[in-house]
Amino acid sequence: MNRWFAVSACGEVPHGHVAHTQLLGQELVLWRSASGTLNAWENRCPHRGVRLTLGTCVGEELRCQYHAWRFASASGQCTHIPSHPNQKPASTIRSQVFPVFEDGTFAWVNLTRAAVPPQQAAVGIDTALRSLFADAPVAAVRQVLLRGYADQAVGLVDEFTLDATEYALRFMLQPVTADQTIIHARLQGEVAAAKRMTVLRHHNALLSAARDHAEAAS
Amino acid sequence: MNASQPVESVLWDDWHPVGELVQLQRTAVLHTMLLGVPLTLTLAADGSVTATGAPHGTPVPMQHVAIRYGLVWLCLGTPAREIVDFPETRESDRVVCTGGSVAVAVSGLRAVENFLDLGHLAFVHAGYLGEEPHTEICAYKVEPLADGGILATQCRVYQPRPSPMESQGFDVDYIYAVRRPYIVVLFKANPVEKDRMDMIALLAQPVTEERCVAHVLMAYPPHNVDVASLRWFQQLIFGQDRPILENQLPKRLPLDPRSEISVRADSSSAHYRRWLSAVGVRYGAVPVAAA
Repeated sequence: MNRWFAVSACGEVPHGHVAHTQLLGQELVLWRSASGTLNAWENRCPHRGVRLTLGTCVGEELRCQYHAWRFASASGQCTHIPSHPNQKPASTIRSQVFPVFEDGTFAWVNLTRAAVPPQQAAVGIDTALRSLFADAPVAAVRQVLLRGYADQAVGLVDEFTLDATEYALRFMLQPVTADQTIIHARLQGEVAAAKRMTVLRHHNALLSAARDHAEAAS
Repeated sequence: MNASQPVESVLWDDWHPVGELVQLQRTAVLHTMLLGVPLTLTLAADGSVTATGAPHGTPVPMQHVAIRYGLVWLCLGTPAREIVDFPETRESDRVVCTGGSVAVAVSGLRAVENFLDLGHLAFVHAGYLGEEPHTEICAYKVEPLADGGILATQCRVYQPRPSPMESQGFDVDYIYAVRRPYIVVLFKANPVEKDRMDMIALLAQPVTEERCVAHVLMAYPPHNVDVASLRWFQQLIFGQDRPILENQLPKRLPLDPRSEISVRADSSSAHYRRWLSAVGVRYGAVPVAAA
C-alpha cells in the first residue's frame, strides 16, 4: 500500500535507540544511528531471521544479536560478518529497508519500497501527545474519536484535525494489524507553557477513554 | 498442518523423545504433545510407562513406548526403524545423564540448526563457548551419513570455558552428526583423553510445527565430571540460546536457500536444510515452493 503512516513521535526514538513497531502486520525495527539518521527496516535479520530489535546500535550500524552481523544505517547494506572477518560482505546482503521521513514531530513510514518522501514545507514543531495502543481496528477507533471529540473533524480518512480556540488537534491512526491500532495525536499551534501540562493531561484522559470505548465496541 | 495433510512417514513412523524419566519419576504423570497429538504419560509401579493420546484417550500400543537413555520414547505410527543408537552411553566408565527438558516456542528444526551453528558461539555464549576476537569460522567438512543425516568434521573453535570442568580456554575440535531430522549429536575433544570425545545430543521433540521441547543427553569420560555440574552447565548454555530461538521469524525453518542468506560458515546449516528437503520433511519447516 503506497501510503505514509505515522509510526512514532520522533522523540520516542532518540540517538542510538532501537524500537519495535508494526504496520499493517509488518514488523518493523525503528532505530536511530549515532549521527541521527532514522531507519525503518523489516524486523528480521536476512541471515537467520532473528528480530533485529534484539540488536544493538553501534554508531552508524545496527548489530544483530545472533551472529553480530552489522548493517549500515540508511542503506541496510551488511558491512561486517564476524565469521569471515577479512572478507567484504557481498553487496546483495542487506536488510529490507522501508522509506521513512520525519516531519519534525512524527516519523512516517511507507511500506512501498520505491515511495519517495513528500516534499515538505517547513513545518513548525508541534506537541506530540502520548501515543496509545488500542486493541481495536482503525475503523472502530476513528468512529469513537469522531464522535467523542467533536463534530468539525476534517481531512483524510485516518488523519483529521479538530480546531480548538488556541490550537488544532490532529490524529494519525497507525493500523498495527487488522485488529489493532496505535492512536498518534499532535497539537498544532501555540500552547502556552503555563497550560501545557494541563492540556496534555486533558487529552490523555480523553484519548484513554476513547481507547476504552473503541475496545469495548469491537 | 491440517487433517487433509498427514504428517510425513519419515517423522510419523519414527521414535521421538517425549519426556525425561527423572521428571516423570517426580510427578508420575506427564502431559505433553507430539506432532500435534496430546499425550498423557503415566509411570507405573513396576517402572514401565504407559501413554494415552487425547482427545479420545486412545492408548498408545505398549510396544510403541520405550524408556531409553533416561528418556521416554514414543512412536505414533508404525516404527520403521529403531530408536537412535548412542553407543557412547554403553561405555561403562562414562558419566551418562540427561540435561533437562526445556519447552521452546520455535520449530525443533530451528533448535537443531542452532545447535549445529558455530558462528554464534562467540556472541550468544561469550565467555563460555567462545569470545571476541576469536570469531572467525575456518572451513570445515560436511558430508552425508551412510544411514541418513549429515556429518560435519574438522570444526575448531577457541573456547574460554568449554565445559563445567574447565577453567582454561583452548581450541576445541568439534564433530556434529545429524542423526534424524530432529536429533543431532555433538562430539567435543576431551581435554584429558586425547582419543575420546565428550558427547552431547540435542533431541528436539516436535510438539507442534512451531513449538518443541529440547531434551539433552550427555555421555562424558569420567574426569572431574559430576551430573549436577553437567546439567547446570547445559541449562546455562541453553538458557542463552532460548531467547534467540524464540525471536526467529518465521518460527518454522525455511528450506528454500533464497529465504535466508547463508555464508561459508553456515555450511552445516545449508547441508541440513538440503537434506531435510531431500528426505521430504515438511513438519516444522517452510518447504521449498513448487516451481
